[in-house]
Amino acid sequence: MDQFLLQSCWWIPCYGLVGAVLTLPWSTGMVRRTGPRPAAYFNVLMTLVAFVHGMLAFQAVLGQEPKALILHWFKAADLDLSLALEISPVSLGAAQLVTGMSLLAQIFAIGYMEKDWALARFFALMGFFEAAMSGLALSDSLFLSYALLEMLTLSTYLLVGFWYAQPLVVTAARDAFLTKRVGDVLLLMGVVALANLAGSLNFPDLYEWSETAHLSPTVATLLGLALIAGPTGKCAQFPLHLWLDEAMEGPNPASILRNSVVVACGAYVLVKLQPILVLSPVASTVLVGLGTMTAIGASLVALAQIDIKRALAHSTSAYLGLVFIAVGTQWTNVAFYILFAHAIAKALLFMSTGAIIVTTSTQDITEMGGLWSRMPATTTAYLVGAAGLVGLLPLGGFWALREGINIYWYDSPWLVAILLLVNTLTAINLTRVFRLVFLGPPQMKTRRAPEVPWLMAVPLVSLSVTTLLVPLMLQQLYLLPDLDYINWVTVLLIALSGGIGCLIGANLRLSRVWVRPIQAPLKFVQDLLSYDFYVQRLYEVTVVWSVSTLSRLSAWFDRYVLDGFVNLVGFASILGGESLKYSISGQSQFYLLTILIGISVFGALLAFLTR
Amino acid sequence: MLSFLIGLPILSAVAIAVLPKPMNGDNGRAIALLTMLIALIWSVLLGFKFDVGLTTLQFEENLSWLERLGLNYRLGLDGLALPLVVLNSLLTWIAIYSTDPEVTRPRLYYILILLLNAGVVGAFLAHNLLLFFLFYELELIPLYFLIAIWGGARRGYAATKFLIYTALSGILILVGFLGLVFLSGANSFEYDVTLAQTLPVSAQLILLSILLVAFGIKIPLVPFHTWLPDAHVEASTPVSVLLAGVLLKLGTYGLLRFGLGLFPEAWAIAARYLATWAVVSVLYGAFTAIAQKDMKKMVAYSSIAHMGYILLAAAAATPLSTLGTVFQMVSHGLISALLFLLVGVVYRKTGTRDIDVLRGLLNPERGLPLIGSLMIVGVMASAGIPGMMGFISEFMVFCGSFSVFPVQTLLCMVGTGLTAVYLLLLVNRSFFGRLPEQFAELPLVEWRDRIPSLILTLLIILWGLQPGWLAHWSETTLTALLVGQGELATPALIAPIDASTRSPAAL
Repeated sequence: MDQFLLQSCWWIPCYGLVGAVLTLPWSTGMVRRTGPRPAAYFNVLMTLVAFVHGMLAFQAVLGQEPKALILHWFKAADLDLSLALEISPVSLGAAQLVTGMSLLAQIFAIGYMEKDWALARFFALMGFFEAAMSGLALSDSLFLSYALLEMLTLSTYLLVGFWYAQPLVVTAARDAFLTKRVGDVLLLMGVVALANLAGSLNFPDLYEWSETAHLSPTVATLLGLALIAGPTGKCAQFPLHLWLDEAMEGPNPASILRNSVVVACGAYVLVKLQPILVLSPVASTVLVGLGTMTAIGASLVALAQIDIKRALAHSTSAYLGLVFIAVGTQWTNVAFYILFAHAIAKALLFMSTGAIIVTTSTQDITEMGGLWSRMPATTTAYLVGAAGLVGLLPLGGFWALREGINIYWYDSPWLVAILLLVNTLTAINLTRVFRLVFLGPPQMKTRRAPEVPWLMAVPLVSLSVTTLLVPLMLQQLYLLPDLDYINWVTVLLIALSGGIGCLIGANLRLSRVWVRPIQAPLKFVQDLLSYDFYVQRLYEVTVVWSVSTLSRLSAWFDRYVLDGFVNLVGFASILGGESLKYSISGQSQFYLLTILIGISVFGALLAFLTR
Repeated sequence: MLSFLIGLPILSAVAIAVLPKPMNGDNGRAIALLTMLIALIWSVLLGFKFDVGLTTLQFEENLSWLERLGLNYRLGLDGLALPLVVLNSLLTWIAIYSTDPEVTRPRLYYILILLLNAGVVGAFLAHNLLLFFLFYELELIPLYFLIAIWGGARRGYAATKFLIYTALSGILILVGFLGLVFLSGANSFEYDVTLAQTLPVSAQLILLSILLVAFGIKIPLVPFHTWLPDAHVEASTPVSVLLAGVLLKLGTYGLLRFGLGLFPEAWAIAARYLATWAVVSVLYGAFTAIAQKDMKKMVAYSSIAHMGYILLAAAAATPLSTLGTVFQMVSHGLISALLFLLVGVVYRKTGTRDIDVLRGLLNPERGLPLIGSLMIVGVMASAGIPGMMGFISEFMVFCGSFSVFPVQTLLCMVGTGLTAVYLLLLVNRSFFGRLPEQFAELPLVEWRDRIPSLILTLLIILWGLQPGWLAHWSETTLTALLVGQGELATPALIAPIDASTRSPAAL
């Protein structure tokens, strides 16, 4: 039985895909009588099946050696593409996280999207999304991972662009696709180069190759940079980070997944690539550099956001920055800790956000207030999620940070400072959002705010409980340190940084009318942060400008120079004929003369050439 | 066997012409559809009977015709031609099916399309150089009329431009072939005979460059491409489908068969420049496409960019990259045909193709939601999203070419990024957003408009998921084609550092 469960692991991604295909009759409008609900049920059911299958397989694989499952897909000439799957506790655990989150998000979505006419289409996309992500978790081949990352790009585009009639959504979907595509194309360059250098694209072969490979430093650096470009786009790291912020225009259930597991998928691929990245020291340095910049920058930017989803999305970028640092310093276990804790806590925060948005019909935190007494479950969820993210109470985020600080303590103390700083800034941000949304007097839009219906409340509460149980899960997997080995200084530092953050956040002067501070420097800083360091503007005047100028230039060249020349030749020949026709006089002497001149010129030319 | 593929369309063209007057357009349409359906089934059957292990020609037919000239009616099928023959039958059927049933002068229209099909099949099957040239020219005439009679406002200009360009290409082909035969002193235009020639490299280079220009016009490669956007914009949808889907492939087919096949030594010398030429073509086509406002023009320029990949792969001439050329030909044929079909539906329903005017066509109630969804699929396939045919063919092209021309391959990959830019702009501008009032009363999209696109979409996904079904047809032939290419094709395992020391211009 166990063997069968493990051998059929490749079904797990297929369930989502089947669910997506099953919705087609509803999403194309062929079945109208039932309404779109059955499509949603099918998808939830398929995800449930995937979850159960994954759970049983996970139980079966615990304590076993990792195994590979290879499906030969395409073999032509010297190219052998096989779809290799890894069956190990880590990969199945990751798939489990994906299907679990997807299940909760989909149940949540039935409530959240209740009145949306395109419910079936939404669920088709969610099924597709889930399939790509759980495939990524299981994949043991760079080719398959690349292909699935592209699928994720596509489905992100479609999910962000779900409400395509709104202008902001249109640009958001476009930016999401193009930014990720930049990363993907660079990654493809790396993949193609690796296929030629290593001869195989399965991770075990690649690891083996990388141990003995001798590359010139330039090639190694370029390869490393190309390989990290893909995850950089996926994980919304500087300089490819803007899409995540804009993607918040999409439906909230998709945002739940996007901010927890989708970004984690990018990071997961990065972790998988880490043994190859070691070939290039520059790539590791760049990883740490990008991670540091994004972690601090995005934490600061988050402080100035007034859109509740955007405030949280920037903090996602920040935490993924920490993951990048961890991978860059070769500590992949720290990366896994942070990814796991962050995924669950952030998903819960976004679920709570979704509950708020659906009740108040706004995303602007300055328009909210006093929700704590009206929506107790949502408030609890937010608090639990925040506690799970910030290192203050001994929940997931705390243990993840502890692991990181423990490791960096002696080697690179400055990374400890960064971890603590990000922790403090996140705590400030979460406290600030909490005060604006839940405390204070109720406002126009929050006065009549009933708690969400059960379809949304059930996932909300169950995820809250899960978040609280994260330390227990870590305990079960023997990932928590013994009490004797705990360095109490680090524990104190983490709690202190989190506590200071909360205190600052609690005492920050917040104005709901959001009048700008009068002092000029403060205003400048505020604008700088709320406009994301003007990075978007920077792109407009650099990348976008140069591409559009080049394209206009080449179109102009094509139309006026190339085609102009062609038309000129045509015009000249017509003109020649038109003017020569006047030489037809009817006098044979004239014709003879013309022939004579022509032949003499030709003869002279021949004599000259053959001399 | 093979003559049937050529004879059947010609016979039914004659039938449509001579059948008595009450025969209206519908009958002509039915006959043409039935003919192409039979031809399609026939070519697929040939595919099943095709022995994939053989490197020789199959289903050969040989009739002596003008022995003195060296012109024989010699047909044969191999793995390079087979996918293109099937593609040709399929796309012709689709073109006829998607024709407006109320088309003016229906009899002439269907006759011309059938003749066009016969000409193209003949060119793919011919194994005599002169016979190839004859079919190559034969295909030109019906296409000229198809553009000139059923085209848009500036059809006269576009058709004449097309005619002059392609006739020039035909003449250059003839010059190349004649030169080859005269210089090598052979007495026959048989492909096998010319294959055995041993000309000095300088003569080979001259002949190859003549053929390169000739086929470069047809493919088209920058700077010989300006006829294509005009022809596409003015041609009606079915003609655009055929033009992009099949006729451009004659150029790349010729390049592989007569360029790479006949002049291997010269090809090895020219390869480096050809790869650079491919980069220019890809980037130029892509950048120009970004600035276009007319959907059809945009897709036309994207064709130029995508055909550039074929040149890159042909230049690299590794076993994988040559197989990639066949894949890229078929995938471009299907994807560009799909895009032109969809643009055609949009144009018929809204009356414009201007992406600055179109908005919100995905609107579920009053817009074109299914057409829009298929458009997204087509766009993604063209941009090379995995799971569809565009990806695997581009991947093969890039993987196969990288070991020989690393820098050029990387630059061509930038082209795939740019493909995403312009096609996404197309979808975003015309399908997303709010449907304006002027498009509130769009005519109903019938199933007739959707079926051809659906068939193509299914095929694109099917071959994207199961590329092996296509690969096994072509692999043996293409490996055999490369026998003379040993020195150029470096083993895939050699690092690019190595390649760079060997050819300084490559890095």
